[in-house]
Amino acid sequence: MKTDPLLPDYREQTPEVAARFARLVKRPVALEVSGLTKRFETPRGIVTALDDVSFSVHKRELLSVIGPSGCGKSTLVRILAGLETPSGGEVKVYGEPVSGPGPDRGMVFQGYTLFPWRTVKENVMFGPRMAGTSAFTADSEAREWIELVGLSKFENAYPHQLSGGMKQRVAIARALANQPRVLFMDEPFGALDAQTRCQMQSYLLEIWKNVDITIVFITHDLDEAVFLSDRILVLDANPGRVREVVEVPVPRPRSTEQLFDPSFLGVRKHIDNLIHPPGQEQKEAPVLRMAVADPDVV
Amino acid sequence: MTESHLFKNWFVIRRDLPPSRRLLLTCISFLLPIALWCFVSYVPWIWHPDIKIELSAEREGVTTVFTAGDHVSKGFFPEFVEAVRKDNAVVLAARAAGTSEPGAKRKNQKLLRQLAPLAVSHDWLPYTEAQNDAVLYTLWRDIATGKKVTKRPSLTPENLDVVRKNWALLAAASAEFSFAKLPDTSLLKLIPQGKPANPIYLPAPDEVIRTGIRDFTAKVPEGELTMGDRYKRSLQVIFLGFLWACLVGIPIGILCGVFDFFSKLFEPFVDFFRYMPAPTFSTLLVAILLAGDAPKIALVFIGTVFQLILVVSKTTRLLDPSLLEAAQTLGAKPRQMITHVVIPGILPNLYNDLRILLGWAWTWLVIAELIGVKSGLTEFIETQGRFRNFDRVFPVIILIGVTGFVMDQILSWLHGIFFPWAGTSSSFTRNLIRILRWPVKMISRSNPATP
Repeated sequence: MKTDPLLPDYREQTPEVAARFARLVKRPVALEVSGLTKRFETPRGIVTALDDVSFSVHKRELLSVIGPSGCGKSTLVRILAGLETPSGGEVKVYGEPVSGPGPDRGMVFQGYTLFPWRTVKENVMFGPRMAGTSAFTADSEAREWIELVGLSKFENAYPHQLSGGMKQRVAIARALANQPRVLFMDEPFGALDAQTRCQMQSYLLEIWKNVDITIVFITHDLDEAVFLSDRILVLDANPGRVREVVEVPVPRPRSTEQLFDPSFLGVRKHIDNLIHPPGQEQKEAPVLRMAVADPDVV
Repeated sequence: MTESHLFKNWFVIRRDLPPSRRLLLTCISFLLPIALWCFVSYVPWIWHPDIKIELSAEREGVTTVFTAGDHVSKGFFPEFVEAVRKDNAVVLAARAAGTSEPGAKRKNQKLLRQLAPLAVSHDWLPYTEAQNDAVLYTLWRDIATGKKVTKRPSLTPENLDVVRKNWALLAAASAEFSFAKLPDTSLLKLIPQGKPANPIYLPAPDEVIRTGIRDFTAKVPEGELTMGDRYKRSLQVIFLGFLWACLVGIPIGILCGVFDFFSKLFEPFVDFFRYMPAPTFSTLLVAILLAGDAPKIALVFIGTVFQLILVVSKTTRLLDPSLLEAAQTLGAKPRQMITHVVIPGILPNLYNDLRILLGWAWTWLVIAELIGVKSGLTEFIETQGRFRNFDRVFPVIILIGVTGFVMDQILSWLHGIFFPWAGTSSSFTRNLIRILRWPVKMISRSNPATP
């Protein structure tokens, strides 16, 4: 794939980054997806949402899944979380095949999905309580998770009293309190405003640093994917297929200042080209009758 | 708000009015119908299609007898008056011809009693003594001589003239009442008098209030029911019926909402059954459950439970499915999802459903009380309605309305207390909850729970 001549090749990695990836692939495989296929029966015939999707995620890796809309990102993550059954293929968590939802795979949804009748603390306690942890233990653990996401002041607040960003932090704490082996995040910051989203991304990296967790992050935001991930899985649409798995050459720890680093922009451009191939740019808009000619507006 | 804005901004599309205006409109919404009722009742030239007879007379050869207090139509009343005047003319003609009439004494005795309603309304005579001819005789004298003046209603000059003419005849015969000494020629009849009135089914507010107070505070003889007893009995029927409906309907409704199995198993039949009106089962229920409150409670139950199942299952289905998915990914098992997600999740909506269905139950109550042995408030309404005592019916109808309304308002307010997380509670309610919860918090803080 040809890249922008002004930007460095996304495959160029600094020695530290290259060493990091070398160490990463030696880690145990946390999540292994092989030959995953999903077909829906619709009145117009069978639609293939995912076609032979295979990839693996290593322990403590942060992998983003990105692709054009309708590429089956959400279907993929719902299958991984066990909320939908695949038409074919297999999902393994640390070598064990899984089917159906379970506490070993946490999920953070775009729509928060907090239990409105439970306070912040009670929401975070939900998973452990369902697993039979005593109220006392769950309570003290929940407080720690809430502290981790910086909401100690709000532990007794109800979800409707919180802002969108705070709700999503509670949802993350709630998922983490279950101590899942893999955490799936389905466009978790998609409903937030740009500024909050930016904050939440930094928060997430901070949390990820402190918690032993493997994250699969679904997004449609290029910057978000590059900023967060170790690797990015780029999906094709119709049917959803793996286009490429891109290693992000941006060194860690990440900060918002890196958003304009050449390495950041290089990989970003590459993925952008993958999702929106240069030849298929939007056609010129037709000239309408009421069009106003203004040389300054072009 | 300044004077210039007083008439502005009342009609804003889909925008809330300020609280003061909302309160004002709420008050008006109640005052308006009451004002309309008063207006219709007390402004004489509005409506008033009837004449309420204050002074009646029997007509010759007509069997229909009107007594004071009866309503006749405005169109008929002049006809009635004319007929009586004609009767009087015949009497005068007969008198001039000198023909004597057989049975005139008996007729005259009856005629003297024409004044009785007047005497009662002036408290000159207790209504039990309305046929006390001796007193009535003196009354004719007193009115004729002007010793007593009629005020409510006052006699028309025409009738005063009749009284004087009659008294002239009577005085000539005897100063005191004696059947034997009644004149042998017919006396003149008093011409009917009346005032415009609304139909009997719309009593004026003051009449309703007065009879209402009288009925609700009345001491009844041993063995009969006071209004309080009836009210209690009605409430009992409705609450027991509703309680049974909830006990049966809520679990089934939730199961139908959660499991397609139960939905397909129960709902088609329930959907069919609810179209069979509950009252059609009344005779069957009485046959099965015999007299007493059991068939009534069963009727309220049947009328409510099928709606309840459908409404509850619908409410359950409306629960955000992503909450269930979230619970699943957090490791909740199916049973835990029902007890820890579905039930708490639907409670606020379920509570509101039950509020609406309690309103339904009230409508069934009225029918339920009519089946088997009539009972409760409805029996009173039925009986009094049959006697056309609508001024006694209205207070009971209003009582039922007020009970339902007040209960609903209280329940709606409690919604904020029960479900603070639904975000519908006012600041007052929130503070109240905080105060109520304070001791619980203190205890749980001082005493860490044992694992």
